[in-house]
Amino acid sequence: MARMKFLCDSDRCIECNACVTACKNENEVPWGINRRRVVTLNDGKPGERSISMACMHCTDAPCQAVCPVNCFYTTADHIVLHDKDLCIGCGYCFYACPFAAPQYPKIGNFGGRGKMDKCTYCAGGPQADNSAAEYAQYGANRIAEGKLPLCAEMCSTKALLAGDGDIIASIYKERVQTRGYGSGAWGWRTAYRETVGS
Amino acid sequence: MSERDTTGQRRGFLKALGLAGGAAVASATPAAAFNADGSLGDARPAKETADERVAARYRETDHVKAFYRTNRY
Repeated sequence: MARMKFLCDSDRCIECNACVTACKNENEVPWGINRRRVVTLNDGKPGERSISMACMHCTDAPCQAVCPVNCFYTTADHIVLHDKDLCIGCGYCFYACPFAAPQYPKIGNFGGRGKMDKCTYCAGGPQADNSAAEYAQYGANRIAEGKLPLCAEMCSTKALLAGDGDIIASIYKERVQTRGYGSGAWGWRTAYRETVGS
Repeated sequence: MSERDTTGQRRGFLKALGLAGGAAVASATPAAAFNADGSLGDARPAKETADERVAARYRETDHVKAFYRTNRY
């Protein structure tokens, strides 16, 4: 069974933010929510690196562990999804997530945040595949269409990889061997408790 | 026809045009964007069963294979 993962090759990322734009456009994500973000480390200094980050769909996802209403579930492909009809907007998942993936649509009085929103790996949610209800709550379901997340498919420098973890790890290994260096798979040790090569 | 009547007709036409345009935008907008507040809008709920929601959906289609192949370049 394939295990879905994201891998950002930081040696290729040029911080163009096309992945962020593609995600927002494909899922019609409204103002104030970014399911994917490009983070730049050591900005303007030698060794500057940019990485595209979103929900990594972790093994034993911490968000799922802390949710008081059990709104999260993991599919057989290891995609971590959630049910907005159950979410109470408590914010526990936001504090638990090492990648700051959960987002909330509003900041209200007395801590009211609204229903949590995060990257769905372009796999929709618990509504029927590619139904109007699914799009209204979660956005596009490209996985059910036989495609991969648009952020990765759109990446012009092919820095962002998505798909079967074993295949994208082998692609990354080939790149590292060919060019002779690699910064490693960002977030993999935290999210998947492994690195490329282990 | 007096000048006042023709002015009224012209403005009435422009008003109708404006209202029709506004109604077209209002009817198109909610269907275009997903609802960040978690609401369904006008869409009818179509929930999957517990087994359906965790079923594997990933397929190694030609589209996906092309993605893997081009990323090896």
